[in-house]
Amino acid sequence: MNRFRSDPLRRAITLLDIDRRRAAGAVALGVLALGSAIALAAVSAWLIARASQMPPVLTLSMATVAVRAFGISRGVFRYLERLASHAVALRGMASLRTRMYAELAAGRIESVAALRRGDLLARVGADVDTVGDVVVRGLLPAAVALVLGAGSVVLVGTLHVGAAAALAACLVLSGVVGPWLAARGAATAERRSAEARADMAAISLDIVDNAAALTVSGALDSRRAALREADARLAAATDSGARTSGLAAAVASLSVGLAVLAALVLAIPSVTDGALSEVALAVVVLTPLAVFEITQVLPAAAIQVRRSREAATRIMALLDAAAVTEAPTSSEAQPTRALPRTRTTDQVSLVASDLVCGWPGQTPTLTGLDLTLTPGRSIALVGPSGTGKTTTLLTLAGLIPQRAGRLLLDGVPLSKVSHDEAAEEVVFTAEDAHVFDTTVLENLRVARGSVTEEEARDALERAGLGAWLAALPDGVHTRLGADASSISGGERRRLLLARALCSDASVLLVDEPAEHLDPQTADALVTDLLRLGADPRRPRAVVVATHRLSALGASDEVLLLGDGVVRARGTHADLLATSADYAQAVAAESARADAAEV
Amino acid sequence: MKPLDPKLLRYAAPARGYVLLTTAFGIITAALVIAQALLIAAALAPVISDGATLPDVASHLWWLAAVVALRAVVNGLQERYAHRAATRVVSDLREQVVTRAAALGPRWLSTGRGTDVVTLATRGLDDLEPYLVRYLPQLLLAVTVTPATLVVVLDLDWISALIIAVTIPLVPLFMILVGQLTQTYSQRRLLVMQRLGAQVLDLLAGLATLRAFGREKGPVARVRELGDAYTRSTMSTLRVAFLSGMVLELLTTLSVALVAVGIGLRLVHGDIGLETGLAVLVLAPEVYLPIRQIGVQFHASTDGITAASRAFEVLDEPLPAAGTTPAPDLSRATITLDGLSVAAPGRDVIAPAALTAEIHPGRVVALVGPSGSGKTTAVLALLGLVTPDAGTVSADGVDLATIDRSSWWSQIAWLPQRTALAPGTLREVLGAGQESAPSEQDLARAMALTGLDVVVAGLPDGLETVLGQGGLGLSVGQRQRVALTAALLGDQPLVVLDEPTAHLDALAEDQVLRTITALRAAGRTVVVVAHRPSLVALADDVIQVHSSARGTASTSTSTSTSTSTSTESTVMP
Repeated sequence: MNRFRSDPLRRAITLLDIDRRRAAGAVALGVLALGSAIALAAVSAWLIARASQMPPVLTLSMATVAVRAFGISRGVFRYLERLASHAVALRGMASLRTRMYAELAAGRIESVAALRRGDLLARVGADVDTVGDVVVRGLLPAAVALVLGAGSVVLVGTLHVGAAAALAACLVLSGVVGPWLAARGAATAERRSAEARADMAAISLDIVDNAAALTVSGALDSRRAALREADARLAAATDSGARTSGLAAAVASLSVGLAVLAALVLAIPSVTDGALSEVALAVVVLTPLAVFEITQVLPAAAIQVRRSREAATRIMALLDAAAVTEAPTSSEAQPTRALPRTRTTDQVSLVASDLVCGWPGQTPTLTGLDLTLTPGRSIALVGPSGTGKTTTLLTLAGLIPQRAGRLLLDGVPLSKVSHDEAAEEVVFTAEDAHVFDTTVLENLRVARGSVTEEEARDALERAGLGAWLAALPDGVHTRLGADASSISGGERRRLLLARALCSDASVLLVDEPAEHLDPQTADALVTDLLRLGADPRRPRAVVVATHRLSALGASDEVLLLGDGVVRARGTHADLLATSADYAQAVAAESARADAAEV
Repeated sequence: MKPLDPKLLRYAAPARGYVLLTTAFGIITAALVIAQALLIAAALAPVISDGATLPDVASHLWWLAAVVALRAVVNGLQERYAHRAATRVVSDLREQVVTRAAALGPRWLSTGRGTDVVTLATRGLDDLEPYLVRYLPQLLLAVTVTPATLVVVLDLDWISALIIAVTIPLVPLFMILVGQLTQTYSQRRLLVMQRLGAQVLDLLAGLATLRAFGREKGPVARVRELGDAYTRSTMSTLRVAFLSGMVLELLTTLSVALVAVGIGLRLVHGDIGLETGLAVLVLAPEVYLPIRQIGVQFHASTDGITAASRAFEVLDEPLPAAGTTPAPDLSRATITLDGLSVAAPGRDVIAPAALTAEIHPGRVVALVGPSGSGKTTAVLALLGLVTPDAGTVSADGVDLATIDRSSWWSQIAWLPQRTALAPGTLREVLGAGQESAPSEQDLARAMALTGLDVVVAGLPDGLETVLGQGGLGLSVGQRQRVALTAALLGDQPLVVLDEPTAHLDALAEDQVLRTITALRAAGRTVVVVAHRPSLVALADDVIQVHSSARGTASTSTSTSTSTSTSTESTVMP
């Protein structure tokens, strides 16, 4: 019972929130459509058998009208049924998407951050569609088959019990055994081919990506041989599943023939005995030929259910990972405590003392951080990659729980401030922050819904995008492509910066604003950013994590991170004088810049 | 768009056998369908009209049992071999596409086509499977079962045959009419739907960003709205799209009904026998069955045909011409770049522009110039991987275009910007391409020079560590060291290094410099794309690479021979 309830497909179907009345309507239409086909066969059989006894034509008129009517109704009902079932599925998919979004929005940040990696997102989109498909291709056809199978058995049963029993047995064979075999065949092939398929994809990618290097070094032939070998394993795995699929097809075909044969063998003696009329014999024998159309789609339905279950497993795993409750810090006390209302924005401060930062469940990346952020102050976090710059910013923003130490926003522990309220004061801009597929203005309004066109222009100007904006066809109403594919890397960074400027937050935390930019652009951007905080119109605290050192003269303080601690801190000039590592790194950076200009 | 592209048979050998087999199965199926209908009619009619008993029709039933069994066997085999053949056709095309793409060279693969080819090879071609397994057999049944059963019906009762013969052409006619209506309509709709779907994914992708601003809750309503809009627009597409299915069902079912009514009315008047009537009644739906199945598998067919034609596009792409003259010995030959110009794809720039230079054997030659000036492209042209738009690359006067590429490549060790390593143990990778495995002594000396010894010391199995696909598990810098060591151990007279210090820190840079010095000491020619001054300083010759805007007849330049102390003395035009 428990296993039944924890089945991911079952859980996902619950999230589809299917309207039962609509679903029942779709099944009813499906029954009418395929029922018309069966009725057409049954009545035609009766008509021909009866006609051969040469009765007055009038006695056949009902049947001839019925046959023609069934000939028309089948197509019409089938059309209506397809529309009804797709409507049910589409509505379900819409509510699944909404539920997914809502749960992820409230869930753990690391699962949300993981969404952007690789093709996970595209897969989530496809998975929702696959779960929705189970309605149209799996559940509804199965329900229709069940109703009509039972109905046909009852119909034949009123004429001949033995033939009805044989029909029932054959329906089970083609409607249960066949689909089960088909699903097993597909499962076997997929399971056994998973590894070969991954190898095949990796080798294909390797060959195309490194085509030139492989060609010159003469290694191309051996890579092609490796691809052939992986494909041969893939073929062997498919073959093992194809045997079962072949059996499934044979079973489906055999069951129709057996039902007809059994009806003939069992019902002919009944006619001889006089227990069954000659006309009824034709109905009993010929109806099954049409009945098996209902089970024809079931093997595909079984495969669909399996696929949908796998898609549902992935979706549910994503939601479960996001739903795990936050680390114990928040459960110790009431998580929400209002910030003092009396403060003015100029006073807002974020103070860290002996702070330990790290992802939940992993070794802390930084310990013993002391930092005071007040409006107008600019801080740079530097250090080799992997020293926890990003983790530190996320902790300061309250997006991941602090591991130990104290972190106070206006004197209130940040862990006890609600996420919404904290986000009004402290804003984190990720290195890979998302640019939405909408207008420039709407992208800035992500920071604050009330941003006016004027404010947007001002923010873009301050972020160094004035000239860029002037060249846009529709100004701030220009639409950016999907994930800003239409703008350059430097413009994208500056746009993210402008967005941060639009927020009302007093503390701006910016991660690697200069990554992948050429040295001049990078330095200009970092300098601008570090000077922003001191803007007299709106003083803020700015923390920038960067690997670009040359521009850090603009900061009030530089923190050099390494080996899990703050290894050195001071002004840019101080560090150049006191830290050999820092001085060497700065020198190497300018040497590179010089070389680029040779 | 043909339902069965002859190119598929031409390019994919396994497809030929499969089509033959499926056609054979189609002919057998046609015979069995007809036999089954005639046997059922022959068994039923005497019982209904003449009071025959079970033993009277027993022989018919035995035959019927045999036909039923045989049909099951044929269906089972068809399904089994369909899956088999599909896998083999897909594998076959995949290898051809990937090989062709590799042969077409880096210029063709750039501008996104590389990614397209990978997607096509690893996922796109899978669309051929439903096409081959589901659609193609029905297509072949439509040309075997449908005409064969129709001929039998004609023989039995020409009036029924006439009804069927009139409706069959209507089926494709109406399908095409409705299909065209649907297509224009649904293409318009499809754009809207794609956009709506993409917006939800866009919001999910940006969820982390929305959270950072505390604005993640607002879009829930937006997601719901988008979902509703998506449902509405999809439904209005489907209302039209399903029309063709309805026409198909309506035509086929109605004509079966008309055949049944016609037979019934003529039976009353004794114009036709019961056995004939029953046989036609059973056969009539069978005539339409393959056509209806084709309609059901319509999507499988379009997706499969699209995948196949995308593969054929790659396979039909003409390969650059290859020469046949054996390459001169590069340890003695001087390579000349003469007015070498290559147009940058998609940009109005020629990079390099009119590059003229000489590469003398045994010297270290640095290629310098700002980013985008065409240094890497010049290297690709030197390797014969990019065909120059103007100018030539030649060795001792022999134009590279006429030289057999494999004899050229076998004399070159090339380290591209992104180093890819063949899978295998580290020792195998280092010794690849050489006659005999390098001695321990040589290995140790080379590794000490490049700094690979430190990397190896940190590996669990040392030199026997198995590197994964593409040398996974090693950092870019470490992989570069492996490739450098392999180049050092090799005996190719020309070594080409593209930005060898890009991924290394200041300390490692020194190791690269020592390695280049060692290569020169071994009498090998080194061409190096250099950014850092230290590399340029080491070079015997410096080649300045320029780009120019397309259309302007810039004649930029040149080499300058210099001692290893001077960094540059470029002759500007």
